[in-house]
Amino acid sequence: MPISVNMPRLSDTMEAGTIVRWSVKVGDAVTSGQVIADIETDKATMEMPVFDDGRIASLLVPAGQSVKVGTLIAVIAQEGEPLESAARAATAVATAAQATPSVPNSSTTATKSDSDASMVAGATAESSDEWAAVRGASVRVSPVARRMAEEHDISLGSLQGSGPGGRIIKRDVQIAMENTRSRSAPATGASELAIPVVANQRPSGGLVIAGLESESVPVSSKRQIIARRLVESKSTIPHYQVSMKFDLDQLMAMREQLNVDLASVGIKLSVNDFIVRGCALAMAKHPYVNASWAGDSISLHTQVNVGIAVALDESEGGGLVVAVLRDADRKSLRAISAEAKAMGEKARTRGLSLDDMADSTFTVSNLGMFGVEHFTAIINPPNSAILACGAAIKQPVIRNDALTVGYEMVATLSSDHRVIDGAMAARWLNTLKHSLEHPATLLV
Amino acid sequence: MSALREIEYRDALREAMSEEMRRDAKVFLLGEEVAEYNGAYKVSKGMLDEFGPRRIIDTPISESGFAGLAIGAAMQGLRPIVEFMSWSFSLVAADPILNNAPKMLYMSGGQFGCPIVFRGNDGAGGQLGSTHSWCVEGMFSNVPGMKMVIPATPDDAKGLLKTAIRDDDPVFFLESERMLGLKGHVPEGDEILVPFGQARIRREGTDCTLASWGRPVHFCLEAADALAKEGISCEVIDLRSIRPLDIGSVVRSVKKTSVCVVVDQSWSFGSPGSELAAQVHRHCFDDLDNFVHRVHTADVPSPYAFNLEQEYLPNARRICEAVRAATYNA
Repeated sequence: MPISVNMPRLSDTMEAGTIVRWSVKVGDAVTSGQVIADIETDKATMEMPVFDDGRIASLLVPAGQSVKVGTLIAVIAQEGEPLESAARAATAVATAAQATPSVPNSSTTATKSDSDASMVAGATAESSDEWAAVRGASVRVSPVARRMAEEHDISLGSLQGSGPGGRIIKRDVQIAMENTRSRSAPATGASELAIPVVANQRPSGGLVIAGLESESVPVSSKRQIIARRLVESKSTIPHYQVSMKFDLDQLMAMREQLNVDLASVGIKLSVNDFIVRGCALAMAKHPYVNASWAGDSISLHTQVNVGIAVALDESEGGGLVVAVLRDADRKSLRAISAEAKAMGEKARTRGLSLDDMADSTFTVSNLGMFGVEHFTAIINPPNSAILACGAAIKQPVIRNDALTVGYEMVATLSSDHRVIDGAMAARWLNTLKHSLEHPATLLV
Repeated sequence: MSALREIEYRDALREAMSEEMRRDAKVFLLGEEVAEYNGAYKVSKGMLDEFGPRRIIDTPISESGFAGLAIGAAMQGLRPIVEFMSWSFSLVAADPILNNAPKMLYMSGGQFGCPIVFRGNDGAGGQLGSTHSWCVEGMFSNVPGMKMVIPATPDDAKGLLKTAIRDDDPVFFLESERMLGLKGHVPEGDEILVPFGQARIRREGTDCTLASWGRPVHFCLEAADALAKEGISCEVIDLRSIRPLDIGSVVRSVKKTSVCVVVDQSWSFGSPGSELAAQVHRHCFDDLDNFVHRVHTADVPSPYAFNLEQEYLPNARRICEAVRAATYNA
């Protein structure tokens, strides 16, 4: 009765996972609840526990390799069961499921119930177990879909079945064939003709220009999901931008003073902390900026959860994650600062958990630390708006009709026009302007 | 008359019999009420006048007796047509028609053939209750040595019945009381014969093959009309004879559509529909996008109540549901 351990689905959007590290090796005893691996998903690195007792009979996927959800990754032999026979069953499974398995929701599946197993014994029982394991992991594909995929050299593993139980059906293969055709069209046609084809391309498609030398870099699952989400956002949400200039003289002065006063307790407020607080407070007056388009309705969120875009180091594959400060409108500047700092640190070192990234209602993206004056950002769905902040730059400014030197910052709000109209965006920016230019209001 | 002459299904049957009786003196008709009463359903109307009582024979209510008598006549070289008022009544003649006729050539080592046609009304739909609503094809088609024909339209009724009368094997010819009044174009001419084992494509389509025979062909056409409005294109194949079965036509269609729904008005267990589905699975295994779906009469005795009986039949609504499911449009 070997226990199959399959790649679990750790988030709604997860399609594949990478084994970052195995915490066990073949022969190790494991108990229910014990973590046996770290798994990198499209969103986070998570620990994977087992739900059975036994000994590791086989680890089928090496660390570093990405496999589809549902793929058999390990086999646990139960008590009294020889490791070899359990591992043999696993080999049969791996061979049968080489393409891609169906997608069970639970991460571990007992291949045979105990009561069933107790009725049979010896060699027959062993071989029937093998078959049970093979059946459990098989891909569901309609015969014609299988044949067409073979004929057109389409990997069944790359398809998501739309039939009952995830069965891959003819329609799924036909769609894949069309995608392949539209992707390969530019390579065969004249380059002039390629342009309209590119315009019609599906979001996930890429364009390879013949004749250019390039190095191909494999794309991490994180990068893939960033690509998909951004294309989805930019191509489906009617974006528009409204910019505003903020006078940050007072804010910069106040920040300097506070940081001197709070240095002894290790607090260092960033400009962004003030902005996050300002954005969160502005929502009370402008609920539509803290909302989501829901097709036939608009959801006005009762919580204000401000996401902060965190850039990850390029040496570690780069990418962008959004750390979420929950109930940011109810948190003090000091709490926001501490939390934002901790989240940024966690994102760059261990990676954020799903919870850390879930449920944002608005996002702030800040490139001020790079000296950027002005930029625009792409909305982070299901948010309806994102604020792109440049640096607070010391420059010649006009104050009280006199030319002087002061700090100014430009921030640009990208909005979903289905939810937020231009005037609404402008009014929200004015509210933010008022609080950033009267920073004492952010302290109470 | 013009080429677009339209006659009823019952007239087509009579034309077939009369023409063959004029052509071949060995052909004769016997059954309950076929002569003096002009047929319980007026199929043999006027035939007594034309052919006389030696060839149009009224029998007692004794199916076992007159079926057996006719089989003996066939063994001796005559070509009898046995009319069962309803195939439901043929059950009492099971021994002669199933146990003797289809096996005669085999058991006599080729000495005795059995060129006989058994014909009559088959199937439910007329509020005749459980015992008079039999679809015998499920049970009878199981027997080797026979041919079984189930025409859906007047032209096929005529052309197939003429072929049946000329055939040297016992032919089970299944008509339907519900279709006797159905009108359709039947070409003029004595030599218009429809061969056995050749399906007819009643409607062309690309998304789903609907395979049927007899009365449910009309349900299929009705369903195909409705489904076309939903964007599902059905190809309707009328098998016409189920022994021999033109599996080739169905296979060609399924290779195109990848989806097959079999519609059969007999009960599902051990039926022509289950046989056809099995053959499609065998021949089209790598072409199928879903398992072959089947629509049969419900697995209960025929209800008497009109509304229940309509629901019991493989009606258009049930066919539509099956096609949507089979094409993943449910």
